[in-house]
Amino acid sequence: MSADASDLSLVRRVQRGDKGAFDALVLKYQHKLVKLVMRYVRNPAEAEDIAQEAFIKAYRALPQFRGDSAFYTWLYRIAINTAKNAVVSRDRSPVEYDLDRNNNDESYDMQGRMKDSETPEGLVLTDEIRSTVNAAIDALPEDLRTAIVLRELEGLSYEEIAAAMDCPVGTVRSRIFRAREAIDRRLREVFEGGLGRAEELG
Amino acid sequence: MNEELDSQLSAMFDDELPPAECELLARRLSRDENLKARWGRYAIVGAVIRAERGVRLNAPLAGRVNAVLLAEPALAAHTAPRDRSAVRLHWWQPLAGAAVAAGVAAVSILWLRGQVPSAGSPLVAQATPAAPVTALVPAASSGQGESYVVPRPKPATVIVPSTELANYVVAHSMFSPPVARRNLLSAFMTSEPAAAGAEEAQGDVKSIAR
Repeated sequence: MSADASDLSLVRRVQRGDKGAFDALVLKYQHKLVKLVMRYVRNPAEAEDIAQEAFIKAYRALPQFRGDSAFYTWLYRIAINTAKNAVVSRDRSPVEYDLDRNNNDESYDMQGRMKDSETPEGLVLTDEIRSTVNAAIDALPEDLRTAIVLRELEGLSYEEIAAAMDCPVGTVRSRIFRAREAIDRRLREVFEGGLGRAEELG
Repeated sequence: MNEELDSQLSAMFDDELPPAECELLARRLSRDENLKARWGRYAIVGAVIRAERGVRLNAPLAGRVNAVLLAEPALAAHTAPRDRSAVRLHWWQPLAGAAVAAGVAAVSILWLRGQVPSAGSPLVAQATPAAPVTALVPAASSGQGESYVVPRPKPATVIVPSTELANYVVAHSMFSPPVARRNLLSAFMTSEPAAAGAEEAQGDVKSIAR
């Protein structure tokens, strides 16, 4: 199996003018990229802005991407550079001091985290998504849970998981798919309910 | 939803789908919003399992990026190969290229000939001075005169310009048409013996003069 074939097929489509394929790449890597950027900026909203900028830079630079390295490795480098530049430019810009700020750093940090697009509804939904997925994983049969965790947490290939679980590669593929489907069924309900609630509040 | 398709999507998400199937599914994924939404939820499941704390799982990042890119031109405008009529060569372009190559070769020959020293300074390789080439049999100890003299070996001559010229011709042969290359080589071959002969003659004159 050629590594990165899936990303490369999407990248080639983008290079031929298919913006929808880039959307798939953003969906796949947005969380990883935000998490990566949060090593440099602690504010999630700012991290999302930087990740957005990194994705747009990557899109514009895609004509130069030849596929010598994995797409995510390339994207990773762009995000790191974007985050570093953002930190430097932020440090150069004038700082707004909050004279009323007391010594309760925890509450100040929470205020900082909740600025911009981070609404209480969004936080609740994120927590709900997290707890739903965790509950769905706990409810999985042992073999499905092991397969999906080895894949997502340990990053093992299907072949490595097959060796670890002493089963054929095709079985691993099937187990991971069935695990995802079981979790996805629960997740869809949350998203539909969550979005409905958001509309009610809006 | 087709279960086989979903299974392929899951394998593609993990980079475990054969490239040929990836191509087909990537095409469908880029157009099918339901499939894309499922793909996005697979990413969320992974983020939760990896316990990516602090990351908003429902962040509308993809939508924001998409909104910005709507105003961008499609990449194909930059990366697509030019229209075939634009890259088609005109009939005179190879001839012009050949003429330029021949001109450059001719100028180079003239320049190289200009670099050859005049008749007063013979073309002799500037090698490090060799050990004395004339070995005289020591006669002082025996009281006899010089019995014989080892003949002085003729110094090797290196025709520097010819080598440069040959290298030049070889290096540029692929850029010049066969006819021009043949003319150039024949000119080179005919001029070569004369120069070499002149050098030999000069060497001989010098040895006689000694």
